[in-house]
Amino acid sequence: MKKFGKYSRSVSIIGVGCTPFMYTVDNEETNGLTEGELFGYAALKAMEDAGVNPQDVDFYFHGCASPLNGSNYLTPNVQIANWFGMKGKGSIHHSEACCTGYLAIEQAVNAVASGKYDCVLTGAVEFGDSTPSPADNVETPKHPYKRDKMTMEKFLKTTSWLYDRTYTRSLMAGQELIYDDAAEWYVRTRGISAEDMNKTLNAMCINNRRNASVNPLAIERTTYEELAEKAGMTLDEYMNSPYNPKMGDFLRAGGLELKCDGAAACIVCATEKIPEIAKNLKHKPIEVLGIGSAACEATTPHFEVRATEEAVKQVYESTGLSGDDLDLFFANDFIITSHLVSAEIAGYLPYGEGWKYICDGRTAWDGDKPINSNGGRTSFGHAHAASGLADMYEACKQMWNECGDRQVKKLPKTTMLRGYGGAQNVAAIIIRTMD
Amino acid sequence: MAIKLEKIVEKFYLSLEEGKIMGRKCPKCGHVEFPPVYACNECGNYETEWVELSGKAKLHSIVLPAALSSKPEYKKMGKYAYGEVEIEEGTRLNAVVRGISRKNRAELTEKLPLNIHASIIDRDGGFKTVVFDLDEEYTN
Repeated sequence: MKKFGKYSRSVSIIGVGCTPFMYTVDNEETNGLTEGELFGYAALKAMEDAGVNPQDVDFYFHGCASPLNGSNYLTPNVQIANWFGMKGKGSIHHSEACCTGYLAIEQAVNAVASGKYDCVLTGAVEFGDSTPSPADNVETPKHPYKRDKMTMEKFLKTTSWLYDRTYTRSLMAGQELIYDDAAEWYVRTRGISAEDMNKTLNAMCINNRRNASVNPLAIERTTYEELAEKAGMTLDEYMNSPYNPKMGDFLRAGGLELKCDGAAACIVCATEKIPEIAKNLKHKPIEVLGIGSAACEATTPHFEVRATEEAVKQVYESTGLSGDDLDLFFANDFIITSHLVSAEIAGYLPYGEGWKYICDGRTAWDGDKPINSNGGRTSFGHAHAASGLADMYEACKQMWNECGDRQVKKLPKTTMLRGYGGAQNVAAIIIRTMD
Repeated sequence: MAIKLEKIVEKFYLSLEEGKIMGRKCPKCGHVEFPPVYACNECGNYETEWVELSGKAKLHSIVLPAALSSKPEYKKMGKYAYGEVEIEEGTRLNAVVRGISRKNRAELTEKLPLNIHASIIDRDGGFKTVVFDLDEEYTN
């Protein structure tokens, strides 16, 4: 692969917004919320955070993983622009499934770095837990705001749309390996036992939940320690009990995403134009130093590992940085093993030792090597397209020292976000607070 | 040769009906694409041409199916695993390998890579596909 160039001009994130991640249908206060309301809230909060007006924003990017299934839209960007003051402005919709919110940053940064736009909004919204009512099929006329719960059966059936119809679904292996391939790869290449991998998978669930337990935007805030106590078990007994059943060759139920509803957005601006556009900016700009990206279709052996290695290599080559420079790390861990393998591939955790850091709790928000300080996909929640931008929201808030009691120990200056999803896209984003 | 609008997928499946497993070989670098596609992913050559695969292969990793990673239809395959398969022509892909279970997994993992061979089986929906079986040396 060739070495990619630097951006034509510096680009920074200057404002972020995020809804709570939630099961909207389950709660009277949130039941009936629509796409425009969720995205609009996140977009306006990002604008307010940046100190810009919708009229300062030139263009917007709209992400949604499954707009036809979850929103009954083909062109979701067009339908909601009026909600946040951008009527008539140019926009585009994109979908890379669970990687959407990370490539949303890539799209926005490229557009500003090119010089065409000075200030753009990039946002995403997903109803991962419900569909427009009635939830029978996509062709039935839908109610203007009522939604029905998305059953797990329907969710699993529609996830097959992520995989190549011509060969992959027919060959049967690619779509099934998503759950356990990375764990098998780690066990084999690092020489650890299946028991140690089980312990590590459980520790990642525990750490993610500890992080979420102090985050008001997270969907699941009850710690595993509390759940174990309630069940009259030790933590270790609980994590290996039918409360946390084996669902894969290695993976247990706690290592799977909590699919839900939510939206998040960022304001992305040419750094040189900030004094002119964001006159009331209240925090330091966070520069996007580089983004590596790769995609491996699911028949590719060890697709997550291979694509992550490539994306990380690209971003380190273009920025001149290494894992030693990172203060905070995010991994899109809808299969929790991602958390371990991507942090090691990025050099944030040492080769073959990452599992020990995790088991020792060093990767929890109050540890020395924090990962997914918001709670990750298994506890913060997974509103598919919006998750990457929710991670960016958390990264920026931590880097701006705005997380209060749950602020990570060392103020992060440089952060990597490893996006993953869509069978399978990978992005490796490095951001740094400007001096 | 020239770039052609060609039904590669249909021919692949029709060949399976005749008992042949077909890939596409790059005339420039010799790389074989499997499953078959238009261009060469090794050297970037626009064109590839049909080649029948030997069916011989090696298995490099073993992941067993579980609640999340199996479907009722797969039961008819008996005991099986998923893994990284390297066909004799050099290409690697994710595939199903029959004959592996919780019982023999540890023993087989010690012996990786394992010699395997391709088989053609029926899928629900009226088409055939390719899976792999352990060579005889592991099944006695």
